[in-house]
Amino acid sequence: MAGGRDVKRRIKSVENTRQITRTMELVATSKMKRATDRVHAARPYADALHEIVSGLYSPGLADRYPILRRPEETKRAAILLLTANRGLCGGFNTNLIKQARTLMADLRGRGIETELHIAGKKGIAYFRFRGEPMLMKRTDISDHPTVDDAESLIGPLRDRFERGEVDAVYLVSSKFKSAMSTPPQTRELLPIRAEGEASSADVYILSPSGDMILDRMLPAYIRNAVFTALVENAAAEQGARRTAMKSATDNAGDVLEHLTRTYNRARQAQITQEIAEIVGGSAALE
Amino acid sequence: MAGPLNVSVVSPSKVVFDGQASAVVAPAWDGQVGILPGHAPMLALVGSGVLSIDRPGGGSDTFHVAGGVLKVERDQVTLLTEYAGDEPPAELPAAAIVHVEDAEA
Repeated sequence: MAGGRDVKRRIKSVENTRQITRTMELVATSKMKRATDRVHAARPYADALHEIVSGLYSPGLADRYPILRRPEETKRAAILLLTANRGLCGGFNTNLIKQARTLMADLRGRGIETELHIAGKKGIAYFRFRGEPMLMKRTDISDHPTVDDAESLIGPLRDRFERGEVDAVYLVSSKFKSAMSTPPQTRELLPIRAEGEASSADVYILSPSGDMILDRMLPAYIRNAVFTALVENAAAEQGARRTAMKSATDNAGDVLEHLTRTYNRARQAQITQEIAEIVGGSAALE
Repeated sequence: MAGPLNVSVVSPSKVVFDGQASAVVAPAWDGQVGILPGHAPMLALVGSGVLSIDRPGGGSDTFHVAGGVLKVERDQVTLLTEYAGDEPPAELPAAAIVHVEDAEA
C-alpha cells in the first residue's frame, strides 16, 4: 500500500510541530508567571496613588490645571492602542485591533476626529495595511515594560491634551483577568473623570499644598495608568499565547492519533494482502 | 504610648519595604521630615535623598528615594516614590524637583 509511507511522513511532521508548540507553551507559561508577578507587584502603588489623588481631587480645581480641563465638546480624540510585537497568541492582537476599530468607528460616528498612536508591531502592521495614518509607531516596548516606557508613550499625549490639541485620550489594551481570560478593554484616560466628590484633604497637614501635590501626582497618576496597562498587556499576551499553544499541542495530539490509526490500518491491510498473495500463489502452483 | 508605625515604601514596580518601625526620617520636598508614632495625618511631596526607617528592635534600613508623595495617617506611613534603591538614582525624576517659588505661588 503506497499510502503507508506518506502517512508516516505526515506523522513525523506533526510530531515536530507538536514539539515546537509544546516548547512555546512552556516558554509562555514561565514568561507569564513572571509577568503575572509584575502585575501583582504594580498594584499596591496604583491603589495607593488612586487613593491619594481621589482624596485631593475637587471639582473646582479644573480651572487651574490644564490636565484637569473638561472640554465642552470633543473635537479630536487620540487612541493609544497597545498590541504585541509578536503573533502566535491566538486572538489576542485581533481582539485588540477590533476593539480599537470599534472605538474609532464610534467616535467618527459622533463627528469626532480620531488619531492613532500604536505600540506593538501587530497593530502597526494592521493599520498600515488598512492605510490608516498613525501618529506614533512604537515597537521597542519589551516584555518587561518600565515606567519610562509608559512615560514616553503618554507624555506627548498629555502635553497635547493640556495644550488643547486633543480633547480626549483613550487607551485600548488587554485586561489580565487570568491566563484564560484576557478581554480587550477601552479606558478613557483623559479628561480625568471626577470620582471622589467629598475631599478628605482637610484633615491632613499638606506640604507644600494640596494643589502642588496634585500638580505633581496627576501626571504620575496618568502615567501609572499606562504603566499598569503595559504590564497587564504583557501578561495577557503570554497568557493568550500559552492558551493558543496549548490548544495547538492538544490538536496535534489528536491529529497524531488519527494518523497513527490510519497508518496502522494501512500497514495491516498491506500484510493481509501480502499473505493473501502468497497463499493465492502457492494455491495456484498445486 | 503609641504603638509602632506601619511603614510601606512602594515604587511603581514593587513594594520596597513593608513592616514596622519606631521612627521614620524621610526626605520631603523642603528638607528631612521625622515621623514618630502618633504623628498627625500628613501628605507631603517627596524630594530626593535618604529615607531611613528605624526598626522597633534597633537597627535601621535606609533607601535612596526620589520623587513621589508621603502619606501619614493613624500610624500608617505610606511613601510612594518614583525611585527607590540602594544607590542614588543616576538621574533625578522631574517629580523630585520642587521649586520653592512654585510652592509659594
